[in-house]
Amino acid sequence: MPRSRGPGAVFKWTLLTPFFALLLFLAPVFLLQLYFSLHSWTIYLTNWWDAEFVWFDMFQDVLTDPRFGWSIARSLAFAAISTLGCFVAGFGLALLMYRPFRGHGIFYAVFILPMLTVPIVIAYTFEMLLYQKGPLNGILSAILGTDVNVIWLSDPRIAVVTTILLEIWNWTPFVFIIMMAGLSALPRELDEAAQNLGASRWRILLEVKLPLLRPVIFLALTLRFLEAIGEFPKTWALFQGGPGTATETIPVYLYLTTWQYFHVSKGAAMSYLVMLLMIGIVLLAIRVLRREKRVLDTLYTAPARP
Amino acid sequence: MKRTTRRRLYAVLRFAVLGVWLLIVAFPMYWVVATSFKPDHEWFAWPPVYWTKTPTLENYLTVWTGLSRVYRTQEALSMQKPWLALQHSLTIALTATALSVALGTLLAYGVSRYRLLSDTRMFNLLMLRMIPPIVVAAPLTLYYAALNLLDSVTGLVIVYVIITLPYSVWMTKSFIDEIPLEVEQAAAILGASRWRTIWEVTVPLARSGVVATFMFVLILTWSEYLLALILTKTEVVTLPVQLAKYEGSSEGRVYGRQAALAVGITIPLVVIGCLIRKHLVRGFSFGMVKR
Repeated sequence: MPRSRGPGAVFKWTLLTPFFALLLFLAPVFLLQLYFSLHSWTIYLTNWWDAEFVWFDMFQDVLTDPRFGWSIARSLAFAAISTLGCFVAGFGLALLMYRPFRGHGIFYAVFILPMLTVPIVIAYTFEMLLYQKGPLNGILSAILGTDVNVIWLSDPRIAVVTTILLEIWNWTPFVFIIMMAGLSALPRELDEAAQNLGASRWRILLEVKLPLLRPVIFLALTLRFLEAIGEFPKTWALFQGGPGTATETIPVYLYLTTWQYFHVSKGAAMSYLVMLLMIGIVLLAIRVLRREKRVLDTLYTAPARP
Repeated sequence: MKRTTRRRLYAVLRFAVLGVWLLIVAFPMYWVVATSFKPDHEWFAWPPVYWTKTPTLENYLTVWTGLSRVYRTQEALSMQKPWLALQHSLTIALTATALSVALGTLLAYGVSRYRLLSDTRMFNLLMLRMIPPIVVAAPLTLYYAALNLLDSVTGLVIVYVIITLPYSVWMTKSFIDEIPLEVEQAAAILGASRWRTIWEVTVPLARSGVVATFMFVLILTWSEYLLALILTKTEVVTLPVQLAKYEGSSEGRVYGRQAALAVGITIPLVVIGCLIRKHLVRGFSFGMVKR
């Protein structure tokens, strides 16, 4: 490839220009956010430049707000549990599916459907299924032979479970596809060698496949966890943070603060704290993934034949 | 146990588990489709109507054409919009996706051939994208208000391009990486300019990848909800926002209509998803799954 400095360099920068243009376009947003987080402004004050400069009062405000702490705890718990759920279901299904069998294609096509469904559509679909005198309770009643009356949507404790189950339903396909790809990329020879040595399926899974799949597993878990922290459409459409504050995750509380209570400054300060937290998590994730990637590269770049 | 018995048992168990999951996935899907064909009084019926005996197209006609007799006051107000929402959704999603993929391909070309950004830095950028957009949504709204981009198609397109660009770059890059340099060098020797090389050699060779990326990004922009909700008010509506607004009408819940709307929104994605099934992994495995 031409790597000369003259016209090549110009060409190179032409390719990058749009990228910088977008960054430049976005820059004022971050400055605005800084401004708001250091001033006290709500939408009731007409001009944002009239806002009073309050130093770090907004941050103090956020940090002493128990709802904020709870929303973080809730988001982390929600993300952790739903990630685990997606993983167990997705990996389990992938283990049952990665060797083709009759009807394989149909199962595969149906299994990935939830991921292709618009989240907001999922929210409304489940609203149609989950109300108290609704079809799901109807079916459960029929199966169990008793009157099942689970209050899926308006009991605070159950609502939390509902959000988690929805997230699992929505995103199990993601883990499923990644693990399918991971499993079918595994070298067959190892599997066969272990089998010839008399290892059971179970031991092969634990001692051969799992270690080899570790990078892929980390990837699936990390991406799912990060995405789950930002989950908004389903939780919002079904619960708006309620009943009470049971489903008030970080995005929901941020949305409420800024667009329902119109406390833009507090929201901005909150955003900064959330951003810090997320950057922390992302940096950690990057380190872990980078290490795993290196393992992966050494594993697969080993010469195929002696 | 004999080996064959065990194997047969495993096969049976496997089908049982897969069958149960199939039901878990398919039933909600079935329910929303079924509801979309039900007349009013069956939406809430108890015991639930699992299979309607009086299917009707009224919900679809009402929601997607406005031709129905059921044109009552309150509902009518929120029903004005579906056509507009469809039109806006199509415009916004297609434009944003096209721009995102075009820019993404150029950037990916630069990253792949000139090492404009190291792979590491690209990866970090991609991961930073995982920070939920809600954290910048508030200042973005005010910024947009100042620029007069609030409630406009252009505004949403710009935001969507920005948030999907990392995916476009990363996905197309993995396809461009696979094209041998020699092909491009040959074109250069024959006297093709750089742009012509990209346009007439690289892009056609990476075609399947570019198409897959396009579809993938289209899925993202078509279903985006949060930013559309925040950055639009009345002039511009997208389908997900429209679906959410439908609930707000004082008629109470109108499940049949919502279902008809929901089915319409989902079908394109299901079709696209099935078409690019094989490429889906590339969209979100970021090179961590070797093939």
